[in-house]
Amino acid sequence: MKITFPHMGNVYIAAKALFEDLGVEYVIPPISNKGSLEIGALHSPEEMCLPFKIMIGNYMHAIELGADTVLITGSCGPCRFGEYCELQINLLNKLGHNLDFIVIDSPGDIGRKELLNRLGRITAGSKKNKLEKIGALMNAVKVANLVDEIEAKARYLAGYEVNKGDCKKLLNQCKRDAMQCKGGQSIIKLLGTYKDKLSSIRVDKSKQPIKIAIIGEIYTVIEPFSSLYIEDKLMDYGISSKRTLTPSWWLKNLVLSPTNMNQLEIKRSAKNYLSHMIGGHARECVGEAVLAHEEGFDGAIQIFPMGCMPEIVSKAILPTISKDKDFPILTLVVDEMTGEAGYVTRIEAFIDLLERRKENVLSRC
Amino acid sequence: MRVGIPKGLMYHNYYPFLHTFFEELGAELIVSTDTNKDILDNGVKYCVDEACLPIKVFHGHVHSIKDQCDLMVVPRIMQLREREFICPKFCGLPEMVVNSVPDLPMITMAPIYATSKARLYDWAKVTGKMVTNNRGKVQKAFEAALEKQRGYKMGLDDKDCTLRIALSGHPYCIHDTYLNMNIVKKLKKLGVGVLTEECIEETIIDNEVTRLYKRPFWTFARKNYGFTSHATNRGLVDGIIYISSFACGIDSVVVELIKHNIGEFPFLVLKIDEHTGEAGIDTRIEAFVDMLERRGS
Repeated sequence: MKITFPHMGNVYIAAKALFEDLGVEYVIPPISNKGSLEIGALHSPEEMCLPFKIMIGNYMHAIELGADTVLITGSCGPCRFGEYCELQINLLNKLGHNLDFIVIDSPGDIGRKELLNRLGRITAGSKKNKLEKIGALMNAVKVANLVDEIEAKARYLAGYEVNKGDCKKLLNQCKRDAMQCKGGQSIIKLLGTYKDKLSSIRVDKSKQPIKIAIIGEIYTVIEPFSSLYIEDKLMDYGISSKRTLTPSWWLKNLVLSPTNMNQLEIKRSAKNYLSHMIGGHARECVGEAVLAHEEGFDGAIQIFPMGCMPEIVSKAILPTISKDKDFPILTLVVDEMTGEAGYVTRIEAFIDLLERRKENVLSRC
Repeated sequence: MRVGIPKGLMYHNYYPFLHTFFEELGAELIVSTDTNKDILDNGVKYCVDEACLPIKVFHGHVHSIKDQCDLMVVPRIMQLREREFICPKFCGLPEMVVNSVPDLPMITMAPIYATSKARLYDWAKVTGKMVTNNRGKVQKAFEAALEKQRGYKMGLDDKDCTLRIALSGHPYCIHDTYLNMNIVKKLKKLGVGVLTEECIEETIIDNEVTRLYKRPFWTFARKNYGFTSHATNRGLVDGIIYISSFACGIDSVVVELIKHNIGEFPFLVLKIDEHTGEAGIDTRIEAFVDMLERRGS
């Protein structure tokens, strides 16, 4: 059994730690690229949203590398992500690939026994004992937290760095090196050293960079390819950016959600605009926009794939927030047809606007 | 008090309830007219661009009566059944309307959970209070409205015709004759009868969907899948026409599931949006019916 999984930001580093510690064979598909999207768009239903298409591309690449089992998470609505597994099973079957799917769904829907059964299938090839398995999981969670923390810090410091490009270089170096490591412990150690290195980057605290919050649909903001590397672009422009939605945030949210103690801040800030959970991460998007304003950010960029149902609702709400708080928000809709030039022009225009509002057009010099 | 009821989305399914409830409360009802070009145009103008056609049309209905009423009914239908939803946009409908249409009167914000009588009454309590302070009256109106809704049967089941098709899709696409350009009438003219999902028993539909790997968590995904599956397997119809609005997230899934399920069975998906031309629809329906006739002979 060779397990693979679709890409989503830095998940692959945590997954590497997990599978290596478990001693399970795995395949990491090549980082999402134009090729994956092209294959995905070719085989997927036309009206499906972008994440589905990129995922199909990931699977096809992983199959070429010998993968025979797919591990994905599910959800039970109302966003269509929950139906991905069924459509993807059918689609890959039709293409002649008989893959095993392990869908991790909420126990409320499939029952606890079935959930444990499915989790058991992941570790079926593992010779480790129970304690070691739990240790592997803990290590993977630690890796996910660390790598997200490093990324968030690097993205934020990019506005303050003295030598342009330091943060970006370090971040890329960090991810590359992590892939050379073997096992969870060594990845954690490496990430620790990079965390220290990041703290020693020369920064100019007197700078007042433009700060932008990235909000929107979870997959498109986390997976850098689907947002056309917007965060890297912002780093190049010398802009500090923040993104709340990360794989580690998602994990924490998932664990805390039964207690209803999850993301209290976001719920509180979204309350005046969207008081109900409407599926996907619409409420988070609205809450983050309000929070970003409270935290002194200059603007926010909302990104979502074409046709995303929950984000359409938040898109309807955002102009009101923008008006109420005098807070610029740009919405970018991405799909397989998105052209980079048009996309960049809009981001640049938005940054120009923010600069002029600050009355400091030289802030990035 | 004048209560405005927009004739969009689930109105066609639940108007007996809404009408009776507010009439019994002693309110004057202002119901928007059937969808027309003005309503559609205003809907497109006032709604967020990415939304689907039925949502835009709903905005148009709200806009058309907003100046004539004191309270606008914007139903936030969360669930019609346990662990099932309709669509995220339904859950956020009041927010969409409030933030898109200017100069609105007071609107109803309470969520509707029609999963049990008690939970539905929660909605009636909050909404009734906006009209009257008399709680007994709300209780009575609620009972009467439920009674009226129970006695209401909708759906089309034409018999005695040589060809019959299953018309599936969301109810607001099927029952709003302006949106679908009166497809039922067009089919009748061609001598084709129509069967809709409402005429199939709920238990049969539930039985059909158990074959899926994952339990569908959208009410109309379940209904349309179960309905088409049953109609094909039992030979109740000669073909299926699915009316789907452009960029509908639910349809993008259900259409694929249906296609996978029915194999080679005749299946036509009609996409509708604000640019749909009537001639194109006519041609496709005629071609589909021609094909069905040739298959039959």
